[in-house]
Order: sequence, then structure tokens, then C-alpha cells
Amino acid sequence: MVKTDFLIIGGGPAGLSAAIETSKRGLKTLIVDEGVELGGQLVKQTHKFFGHEGFYASVRGFEIAKRLISQLNENVTIMNQTTVTGIYEDIITAYDRENDLIVEIEPKYILISVGASERFIPFENNHLPGIYGAGAVQTLMNQFKVLPGKRVLMVGSGNIGLIVSYQLLQAGAQVKAIVEITEKVGGYQVHAAKVKRLGVPILLRHTIVKAIGDEKVEGAVIAQVDEKFNVIPGTERELAVDVICIAVGLVPSIELAQMAGVKIEYIPELGGFVPFRDREMRTNIKNIFVAGDLAGIEEATTAMIEGKIVGVAVARDLTGIDLQEDLEKMQKELVEFRSGPFSDKVRKGLERFFPQSAHSYSKDAQQDLGPTGKLRPIIECFENIPCNPCQTSCPSGAITVPGNINSLPLIDYSKCTGCGICAMKCPGLAIFMVQENHQPGRDLIVLPYEFLPLPEKGQKVIALDREGREVGQAEIVKVVKSSNKTHLVHLSVPAGLAQVVRSFRIPQKSDSIVCRCEEITVEEIERAIDEGYTDYEELRRYLRIGMGPCGGRTCRVITLSILARKTKKSIQEIGCGTFRPPSMPVKFDSIVKGEIDNEK
Amino acid sequence: MRRIAFHPILEIEKPKTIKFFFEGRELEAFEGETIAAALVANGIDVFGQTEHSRPRGFYCAIGKCSSCLMIVDGVSNVRSCITLVKDGMQVERQVGRGEITW
Repeated sequence: MVKTDFLIIGGGPAGLSAAIETSKRGLKTLIVDEGVELGGQLVKQTHKFFGHEGFYASVRGFEIAKRLISQLNENVTIMNQTTVTGIYEDIITAYDRENDLIVEIEPKYILISVGASERFIPFENNHLPGIYGAGAVQTLMNQFKVLPGKRVLMVGSGNIGLIVSYQLLQAGAQVKAIVEITEKVGGYQVHAAKVKRLGVPILLRHTIVKAIGDEKVEGAVIAQVDEKFNVIPGTERELAVDVICIAVGLVPSIELAQMAGVKIEYIPELGGFVPFRDREMRTNIKNIFVAGDLAGIEEATTAMIEGKIVGVAVARDLTGIDLQEDLEKMQKELVEFRSGPFSDKVRKGLERFFPQSAHSYSKDAQQDLGPTGKLRPIIECFENIPCNPCQTSCPSGAITVPGNINSLPLIDYSKCTGCGICAMKCPGLAIFMVQENHQPGRDLIVLPYEFLPLPEKGQKVIALDREGREVGQAEIVKVVKSSNKTHLVHLSVPAGLAQVVRSFRIPQKSDSIVCRCEEITVEEIERAIDEGYTDYEELRRYLRIGMGPCGGRTCRVITLSILARKTKKSIQEIGCGTFRPPSMPVKFDSIVKGEIDNEK
Repeated sequence: MRRIAFHPILEIEKPKTIKFFFEGRELEAFEGETIAAALVANGIDVFGQTEHSRPRGFYCAIGKCSSCLMIVDGVSNVRSCITLVKDGMQVERQVGRGEITW
């Protein structure tokens, strides 16, 4: 039997935030968590969070998990790999998988913050291995650094579908398409823009019809749908993919709350069946609280605020200390976060539990693009989302998010020094820097970049527009590395493209064949030279370049020029190599026949 | 190989490697990863079969969907997605509901 003041079921953003509040006020706090490490779904979030500094805006999710865990003190006990199996009137039971036994827990107060599970959808062959919830793919690639496949179809364009698509690209996979059954992208425009400018098509009014494969996914059939979401016959087409990723929403995990006697209501705006709770996140049972996705599908930031509210409320109840001020501060914080248009649904849902209020925010967007010819940021953030790192990171106070955090950012170009910090900090990667005519006939563009390999100064790349279409050639002028891993790449593009280019692609050297007979690429030759094979004859023996049927007629000159460039020698110095007969392949049979003939 | 060799955001550490067995075949895994992650890294996507002989993989990777149940060291219905792989562990595909063990 384990006795504790406060039991937290689920150590994600909500649970950890609650534990920080109770443990720092001296309460014995026990966190029981099913996973192999604490942090919930934060541990697999590699993107920078929206919000403000108080809740780790512009910090990446897995870093937030570490920061939260580091704030737990000696009053906290952690039971990992343990699942709460029952909430009874007098006792809580939990199954400890490591020790293979049931533990009994007797807490004074309980927070259920178990999160949600991934929604599944019916389609033909949806049982096939290779079909994963989007979160599962994130767990594999971002927590365990394993890619389940190379070519992915994403189903659903909500924030999770968009973010996971971007992360798949970062991990080196291809995203063949994102299909969205409605006529509109579900997630934030800034997240959609990130994948679009990398060339990932978002197909609206499309759905998955079936998965192809016997033992595992080998492809998918997608099709267009009508206004009633019925497949339009004849629009089906096949995609060659080995992973199908389902990102169609989450379902609150209400099992424990319901068995504990918490009142459950059906509120589609909050994700379906959800537990009743009041402004303090207390359910209809005095000592049971809920927070995070279980209380309504939302974001990790609101989960952290909710968790803090619970922690403060529990501490007040158990210690008798007046914490009203702390509590109200957090509640106000939640109201402000939820006042934007993306929270309309959540507010409507919560209205069922208690009256909702919202602060007004500004919809005024930046009108002018600033003084042409000056190096300056262009902020492409046109949706009211709760976020302000552009404002708080600007050292010269040029950017403001007026009043409410959901307001659109405005920039005073007369104060801007063109330092680029905002572009590096923006969680939506929606700030670009431009300078027209930085050289005669050339515009400069600075792009936030989170991919490997980083391009090098002087490298020629292919410039892409907001839709990922090729719009010309660009040259890398400078790469500013950042410790937050959002690097700033400076590109020089033909004049007139400053407001067009928003992305670039590094031409794949591995696709450039030098030796057609033996299929040797530029990259392979360069690597061999780097390894020390700096002589043409050595390269031939090492790579077989020039030793195919053509005898080097096609590749010799290219190979010699690559060698000359890499070794900084002239082609004259390197020489043309040695030629030996036969100059064209000849059958042994012909030689033998010829010899016999010649002897006659 | 499905292990990510380099990543623009995440540090790729080189954890200690251990050996485990899948269907009697010796495979390599990293200490601290789940059975599911180790199997996927080794190119194995089929974790079992349903009662009606459909191949079964896993869906959620966080212990909720229960599609990842496998036979681990002779015990059926182990959630391979939230169970750490251990040195010498014997992992087998499960068919249907598996055997009940006491």
C-alpha cells in the first residue's frame, strides 16, 4: 500500500505541471505513468511551441519535457511503466509491468491526466501493418529514431498531420501527399505553408479508399470526394507508399474518470465524451481533477496551464494556504490563450460546463512590406493564433503583438535593425528576411532552415516558391547557424523574386551520373577523391570508372575535370590516363576465329 | 536500415547494443528502446496475426490500441510498444488472443 497526498495519473505536460505546483509546496506527490519515460507526448515533439515565454514558446517540445521534469523536487515519487487499472471507492490499483505486480495506492487527491488515444478510421485493408496513427510515427522517429518507411501518405491536415509530415521530411522520408476530406486545411496556415513550400501536395476533398498489400502496406488508393464526402467514382488513383499515417483526431481516454464516478458528457467540440469539470478542473467528485487532452482535445500549452491550475487548487485544499491570486492568474491565462478563432470550438464546448469569456484580439495585419532595399523581415503570419516570440525576442522593440496574444504581429520598420532574431525564433517559421537589389540585379532572401545537410556558401540551389514550385536558380551567400537548430540561410536570387522565393532545394548530386556504363555518380567520385584517390588511374581501379564497354569515351573528360577541380591541378598535369587494346570490346570468339584465319 | 543516421534537430546518440531473439532469429537492439521500436528498426512490421489470419502491426505506439500484443519470454499479450527490449529476450509473433499463462 502506497499512501500519498496527491496521485497524478499520467506524467505528460498537464501531470508534470501539476506536480511542480504541489511538490514545491511540500505535498507528497506520486506520478504514475504508463510509458518508459516521463513527458507524455512532449518527448516526441521536435517543433518549437507557440505561446509566450512563460509557457516555453519557441522551445521544442522534447526540451520542454526536460525542463518540466527538472523542476520536480524530492517530494515527487515516480512510478514509470505502471498502468492504473482501477479506481475504486477506497483504493487505486496499478499494474507495475517491470515487477509484474499490482500496487495499491491510497491518495488524498487525484489528478487524472491520461490524455487521449488516436482516432482510427475504416477503409479497405486498414488492418495492414504499416498503417500507423500519426503519433505512433512520431514516437518511432523522434523518440526512438527509427523510420518505419520511406514513402508516406498522410491522412488528415490538422496540426498533427501537418507537423508530422514536416517531421517526416526532416527525418529523411518522402511525404507523397496529405489528403484532407474537407475543403479546407484543418491546421494552422503557418504549418501548412512549411510543407507546401517543400513541395508536399495537400489534396483537399480527397480521402483514402484502400490500402494495397498482402502482408504490409505497399501502396494506397486515394480519391476525390463530393460535398457529402462520398468518393467520386473514376477519381481513384494509386500512390506507391510503404507507410500510411492516420492523423484524423484524438479521443479523450475517459475510462478511469468514468469508473471513478465522474460525470461524462458528450461534447463533440471537445473531442467526444469528456469528463465534467469546473473552472478549477475539479470534477463532480471533490478530490478528483482532470486536465490536458482528457478534459478536451487541445494543445500542450493549455494542458500545462490546466495542470498548473490543478496543482495550485490541490495545494490550497490540502495546505489551507490562500492561493487565490495564483489560481486566478492561471485562469486568466487560459481565457487569453483560448480567445482566438482556433479556440471557438473549445469555448463552445466548455460553455456546457460554465460560462465562457474571451478577450478581444486585433485582426489588423501588417499592411506595408517595408522600405524596399533595406534588409528587413517579412512576417507571413495571417491567422490569429496565441503566439508572440517575434515580439519578445526583438531586441529593438520593432515588433508588437498588440493587447491579446492572439493578435496579429505588426512591425515598425523604422525601429528594425534587420538582425534576423525574429526569423530564427518564430515557431511557425513564418518570418523571412528580404533585401531587394543587395547586388545589382540580385535580391537577397533569408530563410529559416531546419534540414540536413546545411548548404554551403557559394553553393547553387534551386529556388522554390510558397507552393514548392521551382522559380529559378539561387546562390547561397551565407549560412548563420543557430543553437536552436533553426538556421538562417541567405540566398541570392534574380531581382524581382524577393517576394516569391520562400524555400529552396539542394540539387541531388547522387542523381548526376558521370559514368553511364558503370553507373558512377559525381558524388561517388568526389567522395573517392576525398578518401585519397587523387590520381585518374587509381580512381579507375577503385570505382571502375571508365572501365566499362565505352572505354571512358563518355566519362573520362568529366572525371578529369572533377579531379582537376578537387585537387586544384590542371588537366594537363593530371594527364589523360593509359589506353590499352582493345579500344572497343571484342568477343573472344572473334579473336580466336581471326587468329585461325590469319594462320591460313 | 531504418535507423535515422543524422537529424537536423535531434542528437543521434550511440546507445549500448544488446541482442534479442525474434522468432528464434538473433537481432540487435539499442538499450532503452521498446520491443516495437527494435523490431521496426530491424525491418519487421508484422507483429502477429489476428484470429482470422490477418497480419497485424501496431497503431498507436503508446500502449493504448493493443494491436502490438506479442509473446515475450513465453508470456502472451505483452504490449511490445511500451515494453523495453532486454538482452536475451525471446520475442515471438502472437496469433489471435494468445495463450493464457499463470
